[in-house]
Amino acid sequence: MAASPAAAQFPPLAGRPRRRPLPALPPGAAACVQLAPSMLFLAFFFLLPAATLLAYSFLTQSAQGTVGLPLTLAHYRHFLGSALYLHVLWTTLRISLSTTAAAALLAYPVALVMVRASAAVARVITMIVIAPLIVSVVVRTYGWEVILGNGPTGVLNWLLLATGLVGHPLRLLYTDTAVVIGSLHVFFPLMVLPLASALGKIDPALDDAATTLGATAWQRFRRITVPLSLPGLAVGGTLVFSLTAGSFVTPAILGGSSAQMLGMLVDQQILTVYDWPFGATVASVLVAIVLAVNIASMRLLDRRRRLRGL
Amino acid sequence: MNSRLSGPLAWLLLPVTGAVLVFILAPLAVTIAISFNDAPFVVFPPRGLTFKWYGQVFHDTEFLDSLVFSTELALAATGGALLLGVPAAFAVVRGRLAGREAVAALLLSPLVFPVLITGVALLQLFSMLRSDDTALNLFVAHVLVTLPYVVRTVTASLVLADRTLEEAAQTLGAGRWRVFRRVTVPQIAPGLAAGALFAFMVSFDNFPISMWLADAQHNPVPLLIFQRIANFFEPSLAAISTLLIGFALAVVLVVERVAGLRRGLAM
Repeated sequence: MAASPAAAQFPPLAGRPRRRPLPALPPGAAACVQLAPSMLFLAFFFLLPAATLLAYSFLTQSAQGTVGLPLTLAHYRHFLGSALYLHVLWTTLRISLSTTAAAALLAYPVALVMVRASAAVARVITMIVIAPLIVSVVVRTYGWEVILGNGPTGVLNWLLLATGLVGHPLRLLYTDTAVVIGSLHVFFPLMVLPLASALGKIDPALDDAATTLGATAWQRFRRITVPLSLPGLAVGGTLVFSLTAGSFVTPAILGGSSAQMLGMLVDQQILTVYDWPFGATVASVLVAIVLAVNIASMRLLDRRRRLRGL
Repeated sequence: MNSRLSGPLAWLLLPVTGAVLVFILAPLAVTIAISFNDAPFVVFPPRGLTFKWYGQVFHDTEFLDSLVFSTELALAATGGALLLGVPAAFAVVRGRLAGREAVAALLLSPLVFPVLITGVALLQLFSMLRSDDTALNLFVAHVLVTLPYVVRTVTASLVLADRTLEEAAQTLGAGRWRVFRRVTVPQIAPGLAAGALFAFMVSFDNFPISMWLADAQHNPVPLLIFQRIANFFEPSLAAISTLLIGFALAVVLVVERVAGLRRGLAM
């Protein structure tokens, strides 16, 4: 291969008369042309509507349903002053945090096995972990509804009764736990994948060195694996928290009215009550929570990178 | 299994991993089992084997209409996302631009923003514009949610593409278009294919955007399933779900073959 001259490999090209090169564009101009359509699209269909929604949360709705001035903070005061809405906010935070914690706890073993097992095993595990990500959330939640069914014909209750672990069927559906289980199932891959890629970057020599120096398996995990995989944990945790907090399908089907979350409140205010400003207020609160968590995690990662760079 | 997964650690890790894999597969397996259940209600354990629910699904015109509409919508959205996203990915990776990082962040930002809220915001925009063409509204919304996936996978594959090959082709006299078609595209083809497949699935599976914008004549499959979960509890829903699971698994296998799953997801 190396002996054959490059020109001989492309005889048709070499034989052709050279095309005159196109006049060079000023640097950056081509990029602007390539970016213009997507930027305009995002400005008009993403940034503008998001800003309008935020603006609505400060406006007043008349009795006729038109929204306009005066500017007011009344909707935020209404939200923060009502025990019912604060309860929904608290439920959202509690379920999102529990889901994130459970995902982190279960993701470590899976990600460690993915990184350390043979290539074939890792491949199978990766497929099983990722496959559900592509199955619609509605379908997966339906599966959980069947499993967690409250009567004796719910799969889990049937199993518990058949094995004699419980004497009468448990109330599983329409609880916080059901929503956490469903959300964990939906978002688990988004925790495992960043964690596995962070774990994959850890130099195995560190573990070997620690073993030589007499560290136990637990010490190695706590002093080497956990600190060095924190960036992956932060990325995955942020994703799981944000997506759980903003979810609708899972709490609507598995939680019902006993585990109402912010997303369901937005839906109810806008599609049932037709209170656009208050719906926009709840939406803005949800966005603020998600953005705060994302920004905090980004700053954490940035600071870490700078510290390690020094 | 190699030496890095042995000893007491393996005794702890492997059972937990096995349990998690069972947890991941359980709702899919149960749905598939129920779909062959010969009983008028969803009961466990299954009572007998039947294919009648599948027969019912193929005569269910409401479902078939939804299926056709979802497929058309997903194809159109994928096309739109590719048209907007591929040039944008080129600009982000290769353009000499100030603020490239900010542009990349903006392109991916619909992923971070709660999709449910993107949906409300679009409903508000469309009602302000008095745009009552449901199919068009859904198309725009679905391009918006699929765009980041295309940008992410195409960006990831462009970063890996070898520019010296393009320079070599140019030196040998190939025109700009020819270089693009014969050297650049083949290198990023796996990324393009993975991006397009994910965009299709993201649109096909989308619920939180469609729930605000759909109507009875334009009712995507996930919405239909959601409405039926609330209304009746019969195994034909499990049959529909099983068909969707099969479809998704086929896509996973294709992506794994074409690009490798983790690279395809760019994670």
